[in-house]
Amino acid sequence: MPVQPKLLPPDQAFRLSARALDPTTIEARFDVADGYYLYRDRIHFTVGSSGDLPAELPAGVRKHDEFFGDVETYRGPVVIRVALPSAAPGRTLTLHADSQGCADAGVCYPPNPQTLDVDVPVAGGKPGAFVEAGQKKRWFK
Amino acid sequence: MTSPADRLSPDALPKGERTAVSRRTFVVASACVAVAAVAAGAALFRQRNSRARDGDAVLATVLPDLDGRETPLAQWRGKVLIVNFWATWCAPCREEMPQFVAVQSRDGAKGVQFVGIAVDQVDKVRDYVKEVPINYPVLIGGFGAIELSKALGNELAALPFTIVLDKHGGVAHTQLGQLKSAQLDHLLASLLA
Repeated sequence: MPVQPKLLPPDQAFRLSARALDPTTIEARFDVADGYYLYRDRIHFTVGSSGDLPAELPAGVRKHDEFFGDVETYRGPVVIRVALPSAAPGRTLTLHADSQGCADAGVCYPPNPQTLDVDVPVAGGKPGAFVEAGQKKRWFK
Repeated sequence: MTSPADRLSPDALPKGERTAVSRRTFVVASACVAVAAVAAGAALFRQRNSRARDGDAVLATVLPDLDGRETPLAQWRGKVLIVNFWATWCAPCREEMPQFVAVQSRDGAKGVQFVGIAVDQVDKVRDYVKEVPINYPVLIGGFGAIELSKALGNELAALPFTIVLDKHGGVAHTQLGQLKSAQLDHLLASLLA
């Protein structure tokens, strides 16, 4: 048998955690494993039935893709601020993230949905602690 | 039927070693050999079985082409069928496709048939083939096709994933990641022999 690349499942290659900073802001963090990268423009966050939430996506590393043109990618840790549609002091929100990335070994993963429950502090309260995403597979429904 | 135990009787051992201890060792050892043989046989049987079953699953697949026509893969039964799961959003997939196009034109007449299953949206794929013509059928699997590839052994659900069927419909090879040109030629040399 030929050697096939040893690869991480996407939830481990693109570990997601998040915390609420204040009643209207979530800080999400992807820890992209060595040898993997995420596409900046394929990262989306929603809460409940909200549309894509406004997210402050830091600049990535530019890469030329012959079909998509210039794209930006993330490696290592990347921290993204996400604005909630309305203040949710003291509530627990379920944050859905979609992301898509590849391994340098030469494979790409389909868009990977991840979900986590974030405790939102009350106004003036301390930011919550980071929680890690579970491993739900919404798109197999 | 000759079991391993019959063929290896204690009488075959030198006289001095036919003690109670060596007999007991022998019984345990031959039991182990028998268990291992049965396990190996079962594993081989399962492997052959799953290769045939996976081949059947591929050939039972029916997916729409770019014009929406339902296309059964069974029409290529009897060919060396190379089914490539890919997507426009997968750069390594796009990189390996020109070699598939080249091999399709080189070996098509010898009984090689490539089929692309796009884990993608039809409009994206239509745009893509306008820019990069593909000389073999491309079918639209959507994200559901990932489930099919998982059932065929693509546990990580990553792309590209390629499965090669021999002319008898059995799985000859599966590949996660790009199929290298030399590897493909080597495979085809044995499958077309």
